Amino acid sequence: MWKSKVWNLTLLSTILRRRPTLLSISHFQSNSTSPFPSPSFSTISRISNFDFLGNPSFSGKTFCSESAEKSHVHVRCWSCGNVANGSLFLFCDSCRSIQPLDQSVDYFQIFGLERKYDIGVENLEGKYKDWQKKLHPDLVHSKSEKERGFAAEQSARVIDAYRTLSKPLLRAIYIMSLEGVDVDEEETLSDPELLSEILEIREAVEEAADSQELNQIQSQMQEKLDHWSNSFANAFQCRKFEEALNSIRRMTYYQRVNEEIVKKL
Amino acid sequence: MGMAEPAYTVASDSETTGEEKSSSAFPEIAIGIDVGTSKCSVAVWNGSEVELLKNNRNQKMMRSYVTFKDDIPSGGVSNQLSHENEMLSGAAIFNMKRLIGRVDTDPVVHSSKNLPFLVQTLDIGVRPFIAALVNNVWRSTTPEEVLAIFLVELKAMAEVQLKRPIRNVVLTIPVSFSRFQVTRIERACAMAGLHVLRLMPEPTAVALLYAQQQQQAVHENIGGASEKIALIFNMGAGYCDIAVTATAGGVSQIKALAGSTIGGEEILQNMMRYLLPDSEILFSNHGINEIKSMGLLRVATQDAIYKLSSQTSVQIDVDLGNELKICKVVDREEFEEVNRKVFEKCESLIMQCLHDAKVETKDVADIIAVGGCSYIPKIRNLVMSICKRQELYKGMNPLEAAVCGAALEGAVASGISDPFGSLDLLTIQVTPLAIGIRVEENNFVPIIPRNTTMPTRKELSFTTFRDNQIEVLIVVYEGEGEKVGKNHLLGYFKIMGIPPAPKGVPEINVCMDIDASNVLRVLAGVVLPGSRHPAIPVMEVRMPTVDDGHGWCAEALDRTYGSALDLVTVQKKI
Repeated sequence: MWKSKVWNLTLLSTILRRRPTLLSISHFQSNSTSPFPSPSFSTISRISNFDFLGNPSFSGKTFCSESAEKSHVHVRCWSCGNVANGSLFLFCDSCRSIQPLDQSVDYFQIFGLERKYDIGVENLEGKYKDWQKKLHPDLVHSKSEKERGFAAEQSARVIDAYRTLSKPLLRAIYIMSLEGVDVDEEETLSDPELLSEILEIREAVEEAADSQELNQIQSQMQEKLDHWSNSFANAFQCRKFEEALNSIRRMTYYQRVNEEIVKKL
Repeated sequence: MGMAEPAYTVASDSETTGEEKSSSAFPEIAIGIDVGTSKCSVAVWNGSEVELLKNNRNQKMMRSYVTFKDDIPSGGVSNQLSHENEMLSGAAIFNMKRLIGRVDTDPVVHSSKNLPFLVQTLDIGVRPFIAALVNNVWRSTTPEEVLAIFLVELKAMAEVQLKRPIRNVVLTIPVSFSRFQVTRIERACAMAGLHVLRLMPEPTAVALLYAQQQQQAVHENIGGASEKIALIFNMGAGYCDIAVTATAGGVSQIKALAGSTIGGEEILQNMMRYLLPDSEILFSNHGINEIKSMGLLRVATQDAIYKLSSQTSVQIDVDLGNELKICKVVDREEFEEVNRKVFEKCESLIMQCLHDAKVETKDVADIIAVGGCSYIPKIRNLVMSICKRQELYKGMNPLEAAVCGAALEGAVASGISDPFGSLDLLTIQVTPLAIGIRVEENNFVPIIPRNTTMPTRKELSFTTFRDNQIEVLIVVYEGEGEKVGKNHLLGYFKIMGIPPAPKGVPEINVCMDIDASNVLRVLAGVVLPGSRHPAIPVMEVRMPTVDDGHGWCAEALDRTYGSALDLVTVQKKI
């Protein structure tokens, strides 16, 4: 059965082509072992194992690797020396100085959330803005270059965190990475059933006569996305990572169909 | 620059960029300037609120133009004579905001040929020939120079009123401006001795003012503290810009921007063409009489358009000289029909912006229409009808909103705080245009899509087009066109010394970075399969790199190299 589908592969490779808009977070793990300082912008569309940001020619200006050596026991404000209140220390409440980036603080912690897949997305925006009001580089124009650098890093990381947590698929991939499970977005689709299903949907999208039809497919995709999002939540909770990966794969493909529909609409 | 010894300061670029010292205990408050295509205004935070500055004729809105007379040019800030009269002599240059940073193949430049001064094009991708008539001689100038002269006057006016030297400014710019055009604006500011602290797309300045007003309403317990989404429609003489913003707690997160080069000028030209269909041919020789006729037609048409905002029909009666007389009654329906395409474009921009912001009209709390064109009934109606509303937001003066926002940003960015929290504000900006590179067959591949929150960094992978290709050309463009020809060229550089390999094997990674100061850097590196390390040193280039005449570059590159140094997008596996 698989062999007979080979032609689909070539066809698919042309029609399923996409821009890598999803983030792959393989480099999050590598940060701890990487000889290079951690990047200020950790969310990039990564396609290769070539660590662009690790290139020394590039690393001079933006990063603070100090955070790596730092333990949470006695974090002090670099500016006023006050001891941090708890492990989350992006901003000093006593002197209002922005702190260096600490990669060990994960996105869930930034938003004051428990590390789980099911989170209330509606509260993210408010928290995001609260952080930006403290961390955004526009607000520290008159401060030292050092602190402006911290602001750029912290603010960019909060943007990434917000974007990642607010989108189910990105959130799923991220939470897996925190468990040490990498999602390989480049993997070849090997499930013939999914392959033919996707092919059929793509065909329907291609041949859709009007926007009404496209909207219909779109709402079908949304249903599937919701379904697999639930499956992911269950599998992840039971730590069945293989199943969780399978859900992510499904979500990835349905999402791509949706992107394709949006382009056509 | 053309002429000898201009009567204004020219500071070097290096003098005014880069350093931002804040040694003084009382930081200098940056002023906000809204340089409009037609009018200009200056505002500043006075310690408790935003105040618009007035010139010595008590005007808050000053005409954006410069008159060249003998050796001393003078602008619309200080000039005693009326703009209308000077326009008839060919000595006044205006509309510089439409012309700045554009080459002579640009449609906007072409549509400027019937202005009452000289705009000539050779259609070869260089800067157009722009000149004022001084003592019967064409005196060449550039939009940067005209803008600089004008800014010098604005600066002097502000210095007299604020009794201190002015250096830092926040300027508003159209959404559709390319990064190259931005460099021309910065150049004009540098020539005038001004340091650009921040450039804000116009509707985002309005968004900041809105954020402040919402914050005040919360303090006064009028509104709730929850997030409010606003649609901002800003149409002046030169540009139409739209933003969707989500505001909460004084923070305005821009969700999406959309912009185009349509505005009052286009409406005016459509009407002029309607009133005098062969005007372009009649005026093409730019003689002194023709310039006068052009100017008279312009003034009369402008006047009629203003009147049509409040009355349903208007009588136009103008003697253009040379036995050319126009005597006509125009009603509002005619006016709307003549400009149907402009209004349709406005509608599609609003739809696009709402779509990009992923916002439904029912979720929009306030609709803000500002800019000179927001007085046109048809414009107000179309904005309301798309959003399915009966009324527009009332809290702003349509002509002052952008400059007030710029002044607020000036205070915030200067580190000023207000005991009442009035400056507890922030705008989180997005990229107005996609930035990407050229790949095979002149296709454009965006690397940073438009409406990406800044600062940002994105990376994409490409490969070689031919076997044993050892060099590739990274050509950076900004815009929305699928083909590079539709977009703005920002610069290019070559990656050399790629180890010979079959086509498709070397992995060429291109990374784009926009930092907190909105500086764009492009990085390119090469890896071969199986290696984790770059095959050659990574190149990092600050953009834009092109200068005037950039319209030529793209074509020359194409002619010289063809596809020899092309890149190919890496096809994704299934």
